Amino acid sequence: MSEHVVVRRADVTSASLSAMYQETLLAHHRAPHNRRAIADATHGASRKNPLCGDALDLALRVDDGMVRDAAFQGRGCSIAVASASMLTDVLPGLSVREALGLADEVASMLTEAAPGAALPQALDALRGVAPFPGRHGCASMPWLALRDALHTRP
Amino acid sequence: MIVLTALAPRADFPLLAAHPALHYLDSAATSQKPRVVLDALTGFYETANANPHRGAYALSATATDAYHEARATVARFLGVADSDCLIFTRGTTESVNLVAATWGAANVHAGDEIVITALEHHANFVTWQQLAKRTGAVLRIVELTHTQEIDLELLRGAVNAKTRLVAITHVSNAVGAITPLDEVVAIVRSQSAAVLFVDGAQGAPHLPVSFDTMGADFYAFSGHKMLGPMGIGGLIGRRALLEAMPPFLFGGDMIEWVHDFDSTWNVLPYKFEAGTPNAADAVGLAAAVRYLEALDMTRVRAHEVSLLESAEVRLRELPGCTVYGPPPSRRSGVISFSLDDVHPHDLATILDQHGVCVRAGHHCAQPLMRRLGVNSTARASFYVYSEQPDVDALCSALAAAQSMFANA
Repeated sequence: MSEHVVVRRADVTSASLSAMYQETLLAHHRAPHNRRAIADATHGASRKNPLCGDALDLALRVDDGMVRDAAFQGRGCSIAVASASMLTDVLPGLSVREALGLADEVASMLTEAAPGAALPQALDALRGVAPFPGRHGCASMPWLALRDALHTRP
Repeated sequence: MIVLTALAPRADFPLLAAHPALHYLDSAATSQKPRVVLDALTGFYETANANPHRGAYALSATATDAYHEARATVARFLGVADSDCLIFTRGTTESVNLVAATWGAANVHAGDEIVITALEHHANFVTWQQLAKRTGAVLRIVELTHTQEIDLELLRGAVNAKTRLVAITHVSNAVGAITPLDEVVAIVRSQSAAVLFVDGAQGAPHLPVSFDTMGADFYAFSGHKMLGPMGIGGLIGRRALLEAMPPFLFGGDMIEWVHDFDSTWNVLPYKFEAGTPNAADAVGLAAAVRYLEALDMTRVRAHEVSLLESAEVRLRELPGCTVYGPPPSRRSGVISFSLDDVHPHDLATILDQHGVCVRAGHHCAQPLMRRLGVNSTARASFYVYSEQPDVDALCSALAAAQSMFANA
């Protein structure tokens, strides 16, 4: 048990803490993009983190197999809100298949610490969350909502 | 300035001794364990391990004696003269479920009323909520004052001749509010014939407890929050109630005679302890309460109040900091708070980097969180090994978190 504490403390330095809370992520947290409703949304899903009670609603407008608009509402910590904000930035213009592929890339970047995961530069700030397993759920929440949304309708 | 030293030396706690820079402020979740408890566990397995109550050989008798002595020690600590009325369980959660499944199933009927409060831990909330749903009983939830204490006037209004059970926490795990049990007992006894169940998970570790003079019918507690091992705790009940209750789990040890189509039950406490008992952890818990007895629970309480007062003054100086719960004089060793600009999860991560362990979340008290209008709070909790440097580290880490999230 004591070994566990020692190992983790050596791995996760204050340098990696600053790497997680880097300016890009904090900027998204302070002024999230696309925190709004979509009047003519075609897809939507909600995700809750029962550990903290945070909840995000994701809305999408998809036509012709392409994501045209993405937006979110709800409450969350800085990581969850920033992740949702980044998601809504990168999604428009992607096909449904590409959007789901991106959700997979985010998941593997976090959980398998896959450094080569094909993330667009706009999502680069999420890499800083990987060394903090306790926060993977926060970063993943909007991406899980995305999977739910795209798998539920049409 | 008074510098608060620990009541119990960190050197007594192997995990703390190995990590001098660690500020463990999550004792309300689980306490650290002193060496004497770890030694008692090892000692049982090395010198006394056999199945209690089973063998006619000397080693089994040694195990049986160790188990009985553990029960007597814990009963003495909690002020129970009749130690047969202390049932060992896995902890508070199992104790609540035991009473709901046995006493509750036999005594609560449609139209009866169950009174709980908005302050309860999920274990002492959901269990009764579900019993009410199963039986058709009415569930009444007593609301809180603006300092998150049980509103005794509302309790007075909720208890009546139909009330079969009042289930109430001794100390709130989420905000630390201490329930004035004397007043609760007076209200319940004068207005009803209800059974009074007290959740002592956060009471037994932090306050002097005397079940026999408390006036409650049941008191549940967890060993791991009071320096003992995980997986052991107990239920104390009045003899007449326990004897009238049907068994909880069936199996070895709890039976007297097993006929083909019927069985009879063993006496207390064994009737409620089916299967091989957790003797090793009971022995570990007994070592923990002997350690606490040596510290003296009155001094444990005073130590926690000093730490709380020190922490509270400094937390309130932080801009945008909200502290929940009553003043330290009516609060156990818990300080629950939030910062305007920093989500509790972010806070816990940043504090962790400063070696400060706090809990962030709903503290298994979602009904309370709803009433506070928040999803979660951050909670720092103190115990016998906590000291001034822990408070200092908490406060400077909070300031660091605020500056990270401020402006820019």
